[in-house]
Amino acid sequence: MEFLQDLWLLIQYLLAGTGVTLGVTVIALTTGFLVGVLLATGRVYGSPALSAFTAIYSLVIRAVPVIVVIFILYFVIARFVDLSPFLSGSIALGIASSAYQSEVFRGAIISVPQGQMLAARAVGMSRIAAIRYIILPQALRLAIPPWSNEAAIVLKDSSLVYVIGVAEILRRAEYVSARTLEPFLAFGAAALIYFLLTFLTNRGLDWLERRYRLLM
Amino acid sequence: MKTLRLFTIAIFAAALLLSACGGAGTSQEGYLGEIKERGTLIVGTSADYPPYESVDEAGNFVGFDLDLIREVGKRLGVEVEIKDMAFDALIAAVQEKKVDVVIAAMQTSPEREEKVDFSNPYHFQKDAFLTTADSTLVLTKAMDAAGHSIGVQTGTLQEQWTIDNLVPAGTSEDQVFRYERVDQGALDVKAGRIEILFINADPAGELAEKEGLKVALVTDETVVGGQCIAMPQGETQLKAEIDRILGEMESEGLIQKLQDQWGIP
Repeated sequence: MEFLQDLWLLIQYLLAGTGVTLGVTVIALTTGFLVGVLLATGRVYGSPALSAFTAIYSLVIRAVPVIVVIFILYFVIARFVDLSPFLSGSIALGIASSAYQSEVFRGAIISVPQGQMLAARAVGMSRIAAIRYIILPQALRLAIPPWSNEAAIVLKDSSLVYVIGVAEILRRAEYVSARTLEPFLAFGAAALIYFLLTFLTNRGLDWLERRYRLLM
Repeated sequence: MKTLRLFTIAIFAAALLLSACGGAGTSQEGYLGEIKERGTLIVGTSADYPPYESVDEAGNFVGFDLDLIREVGKRLGVEVEIKDMAFDALIAAVQEKKVDVVIAAMQTSPEREEKVDFSNPYHFQKDAFLTTADSTLVLTKAMDAAGHSIGVQTGTLQEQWTIDNLVPAGTSEDQVFRYERVDQGALDVKAGRIEILFINADPAGELAEKEGLKVALVTDETVVGGQCIAMPQGETQLKAEIDRILGEMESEGLIQKLQDQWGIP
């Protein structure tokens, strides 16, 4: 019984870090989503120069470990702009995620049948309007399953921001582990919280997927 | 489009304003003056190393180092704000002035001195070699560890010493295991993946007891410098003031008192 009590106290302590984890994840996913959709659209429909730029962006960012992006943003960029560790960590994760998400959305855009664009143009829509009203609404629906993958990855990568001093779930587990010398208990509790968060996120995305299913 | 442009301009303006604020406040006292003007000493640490620095159940930063730096802050006449981050990030944080000083049981070394300045040492520690309780390994001096698999904490001087001394003496690179935290290394000794864990002596006793290990050797042969407070390079007034305060605390017996309080030899 004492073990369960310890575990409960520990989970309560870690829950205080859960808000930070969620904050970082939401900012990173939103930034990644907005930038990722723009990049993917530019990659598929942009001019050759724009397309090449987005391809290089995606290649370079995906080649660099996320933790390096975090260090660069916090120690180099933040020399000129005063960003808090929380913000620069979240944005760094967002930049990293934008590259992965751009590939998710690129795949989704390509998988929308080409005839859709031709038909939209034929009824007099501009290219921009066709992308905005015909292609993207379908592509975003198709992107939900692979996107839920990315969401789970970013949720867990959010623990990396601890290196610049943001005390989220995992760093708090480290505090407990260092104090009590009970790493299994501390990290087990953290794993439990991560599992619940990932589970709930994926259930929510499953619901979205069903709600907005395409009847093709 | 117009709102987007306005937004961009606003961001640039904000960035300029912020960087201008950062540059202001230099007086005759240099960085020390900036700290005093601000009224806060921003201290970087890595709070996973009891009894030097850790986080208690209520979420407060506690430990020998932190009590010491809070006293330094009091004598400087400023508040102390603790910022916790990974040990590996601390030196960069001082260089980029994300924090004013670092106190993290950090010892001086030539490599570190190229990047930051150090105060006079406030404490000299020893190093410890841990093995399993039933290990047949006999360690009478530090070099006896050569040729055996050994665990160290990443970014520490124990890691550096291992590379500089044990590796040329017969330990292969593959036998050096690096851990983010010492308790992970202790688990691997227990599990038999490594033979020796080489760490600072102060947390070694508690760690050994907890994991059923043996402190095979405590030595100062491997210690190159004392534990010091790190600060940005070339800030002579800041260094002079901190050294003066440390000297004061030493002669008042306060540092010894803190050591006793935290059980540090």
